[in-house]
Amino acid sequence: MKHIDAAAHTRGESQYVDDSPQPLGLLHVAVLGSPLAHGKILSIEIEDALQCDGVITIVLAGDIPGENQIGAIIPDEHLLAEKEVFYVGEPVAIVVAENFAQALQAKNKIQVQIEELSAVTDPRAAFANGQIIGTPRTFVFGDVENAWKQCDLIVEGRCDMGGQEHVYLETQRARAVPLENGAMRLYASTQSPYAVQRTVAGILGLPHHKIEVDVKRLGGGFGGKEDQATAWSCLAALAAWKTGKPVELVLPRHEDMVMTGKRHPYSSDFKIGLSAQGKILAYDVKHYQNSGAAADLSTAVLERTLFHSTNAYFIPNTRIFGACCRTNLPPNTAFRGFGGPQGMFVMESAIAKAAEQLNIQREEIQRRNLLCENDIFPYGQHAHEARAEKTWAEAENSFALPGLKERVAQFNQNNFEKKKGYAVMPICFGISFTTHFLNQAGALVHVYTDGSVSVSTGGVEMGQGFSTNITRIAAKAFGINQVRVKVESANTTRVANMSPSAASATTDLNGNATINAVTEIVDRLKSLAVSELGLGQKEKLSLKKERLFYAGKDTGWDWKKLVQTAYLNRVDLSAHGFYATPGICFDKQKEKGHPFAYHVYGTALLEVTVDCLRGTYNIDSTKIVHDLGRPLNELIDRGQVEGALAQGLGWMTLEELIFDKRGHFLSNSLATYKVPDVFFMPDDLEINFLQTAPGASGPYGAKAVGEPPFMYGIGLFFAIRHAMRAFNPKADLPFNSPLTPEKVLLQLHPQWGIDAENRRR
Amino acid sequence: MSNSQDKKKPGGKSSAMSRRNFIKGLGVTSVGVVATPGVEFLSTLRQNPPLAQGKLLGPDAVTITLEINGKKLQTSVEPRMTLADVLRDQLHLTGTKIGCDRGACGACTIIMAGKTVSSCMTLALDAIGQSIETIEGLSPAEKLHEIQESFIEHDGLQCGFCTSGMIMSCKNLLDSNPNPSLQQVKVATSGNLCRCGTYPKVFDAVLAAGRDGH
Repeated sequence: MKHIDAAAHTRGESQYVDDSPQPLGLLHVAVLGSPLAHGKILSIEIEDALQCDGVITIVLAGDIPGENQIGAIIPDEHLLAEKEVFYVGEPVAIVVAENFAQALQAKNKIQVQIEELSAVTDPRAAFANGQIIGTPRTFVFGDVENAWKQCDLIVEGRCDMGGQEHVYLETQRARAVPLENGAMRLYASTQSPYAVQRTVAGILGLPHHKIEVDVKRLGGGFGGKEDQATAWSCLAALAAWKTGKPVELVLPRHEDMVMTGKRHPYSSDFKIGLSAQGKILAYDVKHYQNSGAAADLSTAVLERTLFHSTNAYFIPNTRIFGACCRTNLPPNTAFRGFGGPQGMFVMESAIAKAAEQLNIQREEIQRRNLLCENDIFPYGQHAHEARAEKTWAEAENSFALPGLKERVAQFNQNNFEKKKGYAVMPICFGISFTTHFLNQAGALVHVYTDGSVSVSTGGVEMGQGFSTNITRIAAKAFGINQVRVKVESANTTRVANMSPSAASATTDLNGNATINAVTEIVDRLKSLAVSELGLGQKEKLSLKKERLFYAGKDTGWDWKKLVQTAYLNRVDLSAHGFYATPGICFDKQKEKGHPFAYHVYGTALLEVTVDCLRGTYNIDSTKIVHDLGRPLNELIDRGQVEGALAQGLGWMTLEELIFDKRGHFLSNSLATYKVPDVFFMPDDLEINFLQTAPGASGPYGAKAVGEPPFMYGIGLFFAIRHAMRAFNPKADLPFNSPLTPEKVLLQLHPQWGIDAENRRR
Repeated sequence: MSNSQDKKKPGGKSSAMSRRNFIKGLGVTSVGVVATPGVEFLSTLRQNPPLAQGKLLGPDAVTITLEINGKKLQTSVEPRMTLADVLRDQLHLTGTKIGCDRGACGACTIIMAGKTVSSCMTLALDAIGQSIETIEGLSPAEKLHEIQESFIEHDGLQCGFCTSGMIMSCKNLLDSNPNPSLQQVKVATSGNLCRCGTYPKVFDAVLAAGRDGH
């Protein structure tokens, strides 16, 4: 089945927030952000700005009728700054005008006086100052201290990982329309309609039911619109409330990049111990997360870092520590992988360092420590249907790892300035929200008398193919043609209390809720058919290809006849379905439990050629064996694997967030912040799905696919490092990502460079 | 990866939207409020403002006629307005998307006088008298253009926000080169970013359209 929106997308007809016809009298907003990373607000002068052409009003914190608070997990973030600013770009005021150009012009006339205070941008410095969000967490498994004594090799090191800007191509935006009796409707580009609903309600001091949020689709989200979309909807709603007019807020790219949070940079220390046989006996890691100025989702992101700190390996003794460190950067947030990639990068770095000390290849250690059935994760869950070894073996065989190794060695022997490197990258990623209560979803299904079907869920379409998946699931559950099914926008009046579309689990949760709703309607239809047709057992009825069968025999009734008869007999043709992932639990006191419904496994082989005199590199190939369970739609899933991989490759190499010491974001446009383009993708990209894999708890045995393949990208760092080592075995190569061409060059030839820190003031 | 920076699109965005054109566009409107490179240029322009078709325009709105998808459309624009804004806000042709506001992402790509152009970097006034094609013009009737069919067939899209621009770049390539090589496809789409990472499927779609359609 093709992407359900494909035709509309290719015709430019798909409607995003600001594409639908504008309501009469629509006003526009420009947001004034703090120019400093930390300071005390002394005064905000708006008189000149108010005099500008077209300006309707200016909104400040004091205008907020409800509570000036948008923190989702910890209430520590103002919608509009009050007395103090905590990061560059923090919204201080908004200008509402007849058009955007006027709002922008007036915004520049607002005078804000701020007394600058010292800013912290480094997570370790913040930790040393005690600037910690929430409580630091530690997962303990086995006995690390005792295990060191049994180790034949102990290696220590440090990793510094950069963050990542989401660059959803559609920037943050929302349209707020005032309704009668003080209610408000929002059309928002958000992964979390309910977060927008409840936060707008809080800002305006209204009950949730006064706020309706409707989300048709997103021009990309990737986590950047899970929590970070909320503020912009709130500002639009606030402006609409104050003016009584519909208001649209669209962030220009530059503002979006400066004002919104990103993937968390981390700084981590590791210590790893191995036996002479290459078994990892102990692993001790400390993660210092750069959380930015407010909690946002940082505590949950950190939790997933801890969960995935041992990646696809079994390690009998582990101690995993993590702290959210409050700095003066924009509040960092969800991004595909949600902390998992950082945990895995440190693990892979520790293995790399140990391998280099032993003068062996990384995969010699990786392969000996892969998770097996019933192995225990540091958080107490047993590996069930573990496919780490299976995907590894299949990748090694079908992509001829020995041949690759030989080819690389040969090439490196014959070439001086260009060197090849390769890496094997196994992944293991847990599926479920680690926040237990979010693992629930609702669906509302209507059948109309012409046999057409409408499905509303709490899931948001953001390109990942969610609507396509739900169409397929609903059609299959009914036994009807998928052209009869229409998936509606995510709307808070049709499905209440939605969890965000995140954690790769949107199709799992909402798909299962849809099946439950459909099953209820089908059950009613069968009861009716049994009595109308004078048949004995309801259980013997089945709907296939729009025909009703009894014990395998066609009853002569088709879908339309069934639906029309049901309507005339006053049978309810609507149902609400609910799903809550069974069997998951986690005890945060003991840091043990069974947090994930299942795990996704896979193994990638990556090959790269590095120009060691220029620092540039080319990804020759990436070959993946990936575990999808029983895929719902291989076409869509393949796109998810390719897309996640592209972002993972970018995170490790090109995408560099450069902040100066005063917290100003310098790589703040798409001219200076590089994301993968057509030339960056691997020349040779092959993706095989693990065959004959038993199903998981996703709809019809499918496994979630959104995030896990992101982490194949981590292999690229180590493939490049391998090539760099081949050029200069003695080079001092830090575990510092992203490994930009500039860093490759300067690490191989330190005598050519200037201290990179000096450039950053 | 790195060589992508060296790749120039033949007849691509950079040539269609030269700095000279851009400065000229500013010259006829309000030079003083915009900070751009070339201070000397600007001071010269202030003393000797060039004429657009023999008369000064702006700052108030002027009525212009644009030829879009074969139709002559009249609209009222302020001279500062970009073609992207005019397409979307004045003419309600919202298929063209704005992704970065400065010609770096390609979402706003349209075809003007046979060349791909970032409409966010083109002043509407500079589009007067040029033949403009937007995504809406590709399939005026129910029948889709072959490149649209091929994008659907090969799943060359996810969130859809880059799709209009991506398709315009590919369509323009096929217009001049009905059977392109992979390298030519890459060069033609090198100015179009897709954050969903659909590049491999876009390549498949264009190569297949080239084979099937010609």
